[in-house]
Amino acid sequence: MTTRPTVSIHGADGAACGTTATLPAVFKSPIRPDIVQQVHTGMAKNKRQPYAVSEKAGHQTSAESWGTGRAVARIPRVSGGGTHRAGQAAFGNQCRSGRMFAPTKVWRKWHVKVNQGQRRFATASALAASSVAPLVQARGHRVSGVPELPLVVADSAFSSMEKTRAAVALLKSVGAYTDVVKVSKSKKLRAGKGKLRGRRHRQRRGPLLIVNPADESASGVVKAFRNIPGVETAPVTALNLLQLAPGGHLGRFVIWTESAFKALDTIYGTTTTPSALKKNYLLPSNVVTNSDIGRLINSAEVQAVVRPAKGGARQKKGGKAGVLKKNPLKNKQVLLRLNPYAKAFAAEKLGSVKVEASTERPGKSETFKKIINTD
Amino acid sequence: MSNVVVNVSSDLLWAITRNNSSYIVKRGVGNERVTFSKEPLNLTNKHSRKHSGLVNEKAVGVQANENGGVTLITKKSHEKYGSKPASLYDTTAFSKNKSQRKTYAAIVNRVAKKHYRPDLRQEAVARASAIKRSQRPVKATPASKPRGVKAKAAAEKA
Repeated sequence: MTTRPTVSIHGADGAACGTTATLPAVFKSPIRPDIVQQVHTGMAKNKRQPYAVSEKAGHQTSAESWGTGRAVARIPRVSGGGTHRAGQAAFGNQCRSGRMFAPTKVWRKWHVKVNQGQRRFATASALAASSVAPLVQARGHRVSGVPELPLVVADSAFSSMEKTRAAVALLKSVGAYTDVVKVSKSKKLRAGKGKLRGRRHRQRRGPLLIVNPADESASGVVKAFRNIPGVETAPVTALNLLQLAPGGHLGRFVIWTESAFKALDTIYGTTTTPSALKKNYLLPSNVVTNSDIGRLINSAEVQAVVRPAKGGARQKKGGKAGVLKKNPLKNKQVLLRLNPYAKAFAAEKLGSVKVEASTERPGKSETFKKIINTD
Repeated sequence: MSNVVVNVSSDLLWAITRNNSSYIVKRGVGNERVTFSKEPLNLTNKHSRKHSGLVNEKAVGVQANENGGVTLITKKSHEKYGSKPASLYDTTAFSKNKSQRKTYAAIVNRVAKKHYRPDLRQEAVARASAIKRSQRPVKATPASKPRGVKAKAAAEKA
């Protein structure tokens, strides 16, 4: 294997500060949107709270069916008189103020168990995608001003960081603030009842800052960043797929602190050395090591076994016979092959010769007269 | 010092972004359904493998300048700059005073003649041309010259 790629570490001013870190092995995990999506749909369900309609709804009346013979449907009807309600149908899901069809129950299956191996696979996959600039851009993050992905910022930039002002200055210097601006501009009033239920606004997600909780400065950093719209912080030891791939879409814009970035290899291990913190865990490896189809097709190994193009090198478009179909009406050589007379026909311009009209008309010739006048 | 990740290729990226990307714009219904792309490096604005500026390692963009003329954007070497969004792009601005012919010649030179993306030659020139055309001042519609009966009526009115 070639040398491991390196990532430069950026200082507080946004310029590379000269030191580099080797790229942790997680970033080479297979990028599998299908797995991430499926795990995300499962995991997203695990924060739900039960809801249901009232147990009694639609049943708080003493309705009884009138039976047959009264020329009305046999649905239970509210008893009594003196009010409009009397005699109205009740209980059924088709009735006004009846119970709903299959009333919702609080004991619905709210949570979904997602296997640990799948969760870990999805997390590794989401991390790998977060280092691919096109995927981060396709998710909608504004990263055109970011010097490098994965974006690693030196620990010195975070030491004694307590103030949001300093955090904003840092985001600006590393080119991540345009993403925050995008978030603030996206803030909209939520449609529907959610407005009344503590979810008044909705907005995009911004950068995710991943810190190492073992750092002394970590708690200050989290406080400094927590009031910036769209910016979230996460501990590197407990990464959450819901943050790494919001909506199940790969490519969250992630900013790493240097120590968090360096901790990745101990947390996730590699494809061959097991992780130090996760029991029996090896990173998933790619089934197809080289996903560049063009290179696979043009590789010597494949080219050595493919059949030669039909019709030879000059006629790659060969059909079944291996010959390019040519239009005889347009191609003279093909025309001559089909109809050798065409040459003479064209040379003598027979196509444009006028038909000679015979001067002798039937009925007026001498011979005709002679015959008709014979006695 | 390259840090291009090997498990990613443009084929894979296209497979991922083909059905889900923030740049996709869908218009029309039924048979007229078209998928456009808002990518800055997309010459035809069509969401396709060939024209995608995000996915391809080499891509060409032509944008209008603020004060007339066009700017040609190309991607730098994927090996060196693939993971560096801020320094990935090469931009060349052609001023509005540069003649059409010279502008297109320069674009063709950069896009096709140096074997960068010869397949995008026509699209690049067409886009530049469309932008140039849109930048021309709009001619005022000439006053109508009525003839015949209308002319008489107009004369009487005046």
